[in-house]
Amino acid sequence: MRSIANPRLMLMILSAVFAFLYIPISVLFALSFNEGGLPTAWTGFSVKWYGALFRNSDIMGAALNTLVVAVISTALATILGTLLAVGVEIRRRKGRFLETIIFAPMIIPDIVLAIALLSFFSLLNVTLGLHTVILSHVVFNLAFVCSVVRSRLKTFDWSVVEASTDLGAPMVVTLWRVVLPVMMPAVIAGALLAFTLSLDEFIIAFFTAGAGRDSITLPMQIFAMIRFGVTPEINALAAIVMTLSVVILALSQRLNRGGLPGQ
Amino acid sequence: MHWRIAPQIQARRMIDRKPLYLMTPALAWLTAFMVAPCLMILALAFFQRGIYGGIDYTFTLENIALVFDPLYANIFLKSAFIAGLSATIAVVIGYAAAFAITAAPAKRQAMLLFFAVLPFWSNYLVRTYAWIVMLNREGLIAGAAQWLGYDGELPKMLYTETAVVIGLVYNYLPFVILACYAPLSRLNPEIAEASRDLGGNGWTTFRRVILPMTVPGIATGFVFVFVLSIGNFVTPALLGGGQFQMIGNLVYAQFLTANDWPFGAALSMFLIAIMMGLLTLQTYASERASGARREE
Amino acid sequence: MTQPLLTIRNVRKNFGSVKAIDGIDLDIHENEFFALLGASGSGKTTLLRMLAGFELPDDGEVILDGKDVSQVPPNHRPVNLMFQSYALFPNMSVARNIAYGLEMEKLPKAEIRSRVDEILEVIQLSHLANRKPDQLSGGQRQRVALARALVKRPRLLLLDEPLGALDKKLRGEMQLELKRIQNEFGITFIIVTHDQEEALVMADRVAILKDGRLLQSGTPQEIYEHPESRFAADFIGVMNFFPVTQESGHLRAQDGSTITANTPLESAARGVAAVRPERLHIGGNDRDNSISGTVSAIAYHGLDLQVHLKTPASPDPVLIRLTADVAERAPIGVGDSLTVHWAAKDTRVFAV
Ligand SMILES: Nc1ncnc2c1ncn2[C@@H]1O[C@H](COP(=O)(O)OP(=O)(O)OP(=O)(O)O)[C@@H](O)[C@H]1O
Ligand SMILES: [Mg+2]
Repeated sequence: MRSIANPRLMLMILSAVFAFLYIPISVLFALSFNEGGLPTAWTGFSVKWYGALFRNSDIMGAALNTLVVAVISTALATILGTLLAVGVEIRRRKGRFLETIIFAPMIIPDIVLAIALLSFFSLLNVTLGLHTVILSHVVFNLAFVCSVVRSRLKTFDWSVVEASTDLGAPMVVTLWRVVLPVMMPAVIAGALLAFTLSLDEFIIAFFTAGAGRDSITLPMQIFAMIRFGVTPEINALAAIVMTLSVVILALSQRLNRGGLPGQ
Repeated sequence: MHWRIAPQIQARRMIDRKPLYLMTPALAWLTAFMVAPCLMILALAFFQRGIYGGIDYTFTLENIALVFDPLYANIFLKSAFIAGLSATIAVVIGYAAAFAITAAPAKRQAMLLFFAVLPFWSNYLVRTYAWIVMLNREGLIAGAAQWLGYDGELPKMLYTETAVVIGLVYNYLPFVILACYAPLSRLNPEIAEASRDLGGNGWTTFRRVILPMTVPGIATGFVFVFVLSIGNFVTPALLGGGQFQMIGNLVYAQFLTANDWPFGAALSMFLIAIMMGLLTLQTYASERASGARREE
Repeated sequence: MTQPLLTIRNVRKNFGSVKAIDGIDLDIHENEFFALLGASGSGKTTLLRMLAGFELPDDGEVILDGKDVSQVPPNHRPVNLMFQSYALFPNMSVARNIAYGLEMEKLPKAEIRSRVDEILEVIQLSHLANRKPDQLSGGQRQRVALARALVKRPRLLLLDEPLGALDKKLRGEMQLELKRIQNEFGITFIIVTHDQEEALVMADRVAILKDGRLLQSGTPQEIYEHPESRFAADFIGVMNFFPVTQESGHLRAQDGSTITANTPLESAARGVAAVRPERLHIGGNDRDNSISGTVSAIAYHGLDLQVHLKTPASPDPVLIRLTADVAERAPIGVGDSLTVHWAAKDTRVFAV
């Protein structure tokens, strides 16, 4: 595109877009260290809001809940998603129906899945709580894990499977010693992606967690805090949450050079 | 040469006996917690609302009819307008950014793209919250204006439609950049050069050659921003201050406050229908574009 | 003669409507270096995969050491395959790759180590034992793949186009290397190739496949000197062909000259006469087995000189191979007229 691009114009566009993308985020970060806690005036550097954050038992409880949800749903989704990916890639004929089912959790609007699950659980008289959030998170998490692992398997040289058999290995040994190690970076990348998605997920959790205070997740807590009165602690919380997701996803990206889904 | 393919096929076939066995757990999960609930919602849309907010299992088309009731036409039009506006702005900015990235030296493109997408990886609520901080009366923009010596009354920025549009564009922009970058980066630079060589100036080359060939990326970006916006309830709630409703808020209300689940179900079916319709259009647009590409 | 190591008896394999292997019988003996030759799609890989156990024959038997193994799965056959793509395990080092097969046999660690070291010595890669496959060159990978199969000391080692991915010079070196290793280990090799020259250099015996059938098998020399079909004659070495008609016991070429042969064309009016390029000699007007034409090209092949002769007797240029001293005695240039002749014993005739 260089031949028809005006370099100065391009530079201007990029600067404007990156400013638009990064100024709000940077402001949050700066604010989290502002002694006064208000965006209007810089009153000095302080980490006191971080301290306040860790003393806030509501936030800490919500964080713990989120961690539980993320860890369990990621573990389940990683196992299910990886097996699914291997199963789909081994099949020679790709069913369109199958592809749709696997793809759907990634594109269904969250709110639709959320209310569907809420109705489903209520009709079956399932008590809502963290366990229903976990069940629900596995749905989209496994789809993302599957997609990351599949992109890895697309370049997999299946003849190593035959080579292993030829050298005397039974199929289980082959899967364990040859197929799994090759997939491993993608499996970990998928798990990290699932973990962050789960950490950050709000809408589905909001609908499927029920009304109890003890099943509030961190995003639900953040939503409530934003909505019903902003305390400066939230800047610190926002900075931590944001850093965490970005770091984990950058790690995932690094592991899985094939790229994240959508890329 | 078939031997390059055949052994692969063979190797797959050896473990082929058990793919179902590998796929069953995940497929069972998806069936139980996605397919079944969605089918249920579909069914729910055809039942009556119970007197006390429960569900009365008698068949009715009322909920579907209600979706098209003039009472809600306003909300739909407003939602569609906000979503359409956000999607359009996001596509214009996103396309320009993607174009500028492809115009950068090849070595730097990956890095630029990485940083363009990076915000997308952070929490949606937090990114939305950042705009509260920006647009607030005591917020950054107000502060900046003051600091610059402006002390008249600033127009209200937070809790407006503009704020909602800004929030939606901000949140989905990285996705659009990514969607537009893909087809742009695949374009053969010689095509642009050929057009110039044939006498087209920069703008003509862009409008007649590059733009038509990158329609699929634009369409993907637009559809996703539109669908995610029209079904959104977080951004209107946080940045719109509950001033107006989008379809997403309406669905939310039926389930959590008004307790009219059948109507909520009908609304969400409507959302899915919009999405599927747009995705079909988008596929059509991509096929047209690839057809055009073949003719070039 | 002793019992053959491997007997293939009337083996067939169909893929849908494709007859990939259409009834093949073959004996292969202990310690042989055997080459399967054939054009693309002739069924070489399929036959090899049946010997390895990755493909089950629809019909017929594969007998190894007197036992029918046609239904034995690949991991239980004393047969190893060296894959065309090498199929090295990307996650394991060179040494781990080689040890893998021995670990599957549950051998003691010490023995595994000494056997891996020994084979690394043989393929001269001891210094690279801890590298991963993607840190190796093509030739090194090829040798690791060979070692990985060899170290199990199989009764039979199958190699599917082992040198296909290497450049020409490396191929030449590896051909000799394979031959040396086969000698050293005394293991029977069956190698697939579609390069006839490669087969001639390495193999003790060669089989030519065509459309899933066995056309001819024998030592390279047998096939070179006594091809049983036009296809075999063409496939092994270079051959000049002259379309002929048979009239009252005489063969007549297209330019009207007479061709004689020790073996007459059987029961057919039309055929081709074939002569190897090195059997053609310059001179010999007005006699049987002589062809005249114009020199259309000259090419040097090391010490030899290849002359292309355009003649009315053949649609393709006739190839003549002259040694350098012959060429020096009678210099030839492009455009010259030239006559060549050959002896009746050097004519092969095939029906068409
Ligand atoms: N898995 C398969 N399914 C269907 N047809 C197959 C399969 N494997 C081989 N064939 C067909 O069987 C025939 C023989 O194939 P094979 O791979 O044995 O040929 P080859 O002699 O090894 O050829 P090449 O020199 O190109 O490797 C071909 O027509 C091929 O298309
Ligand atoms: Mg082959």
